[in-house]
Amino acid sequence: MSADFLYTLEVILNGLMAGVMYSLVALGFVLIFKASGIFNYAQGVMALFAAMTLVGLQSGQIPFAHLINAIFGTDLHHFGWQMPALLAIILTVGVMVLFAIIVEKYILHHLVNQEPIILFMATIGLAYFMEGFGDIMWGSEIKTMDVGIPSGGSFWLEEVTMTWAAEGERYWGMYIDKLDVVATLVALVLVISLTLFSQYTKTGRALRAVADDHQAALSVGISLRTIWVIVWSIAGFVALVAGIMWGSKSGVQFSLSLIALKALPVLMLGGFTSIPGAIIGGLIIGVGEKLFEFAIGSVYLGGATENWFAYVLALVFLVFRPQGLFGEKIIERV
Amino acid sequence: MSTQNNGQNDKKVMLDLKNISLSFGGVKAITDISFNIYEGEVRAIIGPNGAGKSSMLNVINGFYHPQEGEIWFNGEQRKGMKPYEIAYQGIARTFQNIALFKGMSVLDNLMTGRFTHMNKNLFYQAMWKGPAEQEEIANREFVEHIIDFLEIQSIRKTPVGRLPYGLQKRVELGRALAAQPKLLLLDEPMAGMNVEEKEDMCRFILDVNDTFGTTIALIEHDMGVVMDISDRVVVLDYGRKIGDGEPNEVRNDQTVIDAYLGVSH
Repeated sequence: MSADFLYTLEVILNGLMAGVMYSLVALGFVLIFKASGIFNYAQGVMALFAAMTLVGLQSGQIPFAHLINAIFGTDLHHFGWQMPALLAIILTVGVMVLFAIIVEKYILHHLVNQEPIILFMATIGLAYFMEGFGDIMWGSEIKTMDVGIPSGGSFWLEEVTMTWAAEGERYWGMYIDKLDVVATLVALVLVISLTLFSQYTKTGRALRAVADDHQAALSVGISLRTIWVIVWSIAGFVALVAGIMWGSKSGVQFSLSLIALKALPVLMLGGFTSIPGAIIGGLIIGVGEKLFEFAIGSVYLGGATENWFAYVLALVFLVFRPQGLFGEKIIERV
Repeated sequence: MSTQNNGQNDKKVMLDLKNISLSFGGVKAITDISFNIYEGEVRAIIGPNGAGKSSMLNVINGFYHPQEGEIWFNGEQRKGMKPYEIAYQGIARTFQNIALFKGMSVLDNLMTGRFTHMNKNLFYQAMWKGPAEQEEIANREFVEHIIDFLEIQSIRKTPVGRLPYGLQKRVELGRALAAQPKLLLLDEPMAGMNVEEKEDMCRFILDVNDTFGTTIALIEHDMGVVMDISDRVVVLDYGRKIGDGEPNEVRNDQTVIDAYLGVSH
């Protein structure tokens, strides 16, 4: 095999795995949008908040330490224990469920039957509130996340692939981050279990029912409030998974919340209402931007095309297929 | 023959509405309406457009909360219940403009109708194997009976959004029946149907009443149908009750005739 071919293959593989990371965030958006028609701007901040909470719990940070110290003149910072990763994850899931209950009770419940734009504004408010609240609770410094996911390049793969190149070519093997592989597997399991759950269980059917028709759902005995809490809890869980993956990759810091913006083009491609769409959309964006950068961007445009390529691709898609790849086709009878 | 006027009232009252008034802002939708529904009967609610029939149905199933009046269901007074809680009490309904879960198959729609009969919690559902699966199978069996009953075997797996109007109406009836309701509310079950479809629907409604003993309250515009299938009829006009009784009495009532024929007031 020629080295060029192997390079391209490597770019595509890395693109696919970067795409999975985008999909993880997009998934959270789709879940909430399907069930309640709300575009949850806070999804990215939820990922950041979940990641901060996980790191905080794991390293035994005292919540609101800065605030307490400022008021009482104490010098608290850590409990002094190290929590096992699994326990910390379970507790964080609990925190995200609590968060879902609070959001339903104090925000959504008061905005029933409001225009989508008002709900959207509410989630913007929620996003900024959570950002500040997270900072006060856990501090704003950059933290490292370590829940035991292997990271760094796979030497094994590099050694194996090095021998694939044709005789005499300069090729140093394929670089694949182990973390990306884990993220891909996790995303796969997550999507399959979510799909099975929504297809074959009573609550799954209720979720789909609420997405289709609120009144009819009420009339068969489904409580909208319960369903919204469940949906926001699942979205919180997905945010935690995204937070763990992104946090392990690039540290737990403010910029984590901005990955939400990267999910937008994914949603435009995949459609706001389709779970498989979120996955495929993510993959297309991931591969697209990596390939474009590799083949065109770095050669003719001076690089750094990854920042805008996804949005341009989404724009092109919007023009030709507004409902996205898998979104429900919008047909209006006149 | 009239059972309610001669005082020999041996039938059990299932739903009793007393002096119900409902208004939206300043607009009165229902003014001081009282009537009851006996267990096991087919009770029709008729009246010209805008008479308050659908509002009445929405009051019964809890979508609207009347400002005044009492609602008694099976001997218990209802106080501030949510629609989904009323579904748990055994009241199911269909809608005037079909409200099915359009993206879901016929089977899934009917299974969702079984919601109030499935109580295994989220944990069991997530495990899937075991109790949740058994519950799923038992309820699926019941739903298959409904499918046979309504003769919709061949469209079991079809997403309901793709079905023709008449069949959608039938599936919606099926979803309500799946709940094994004590009281079934039908909002214009035959609207927009052709003669053949209407006959089918009439047959199903009477069969449901006969075989399952389900009490039915229905709104319908087709007078022929109403007179044929209902035991008692209540007539509304401009949010007030103007007639109540067996089809024959109501048919010959001058006020009712006036309201329907549009005699100048």
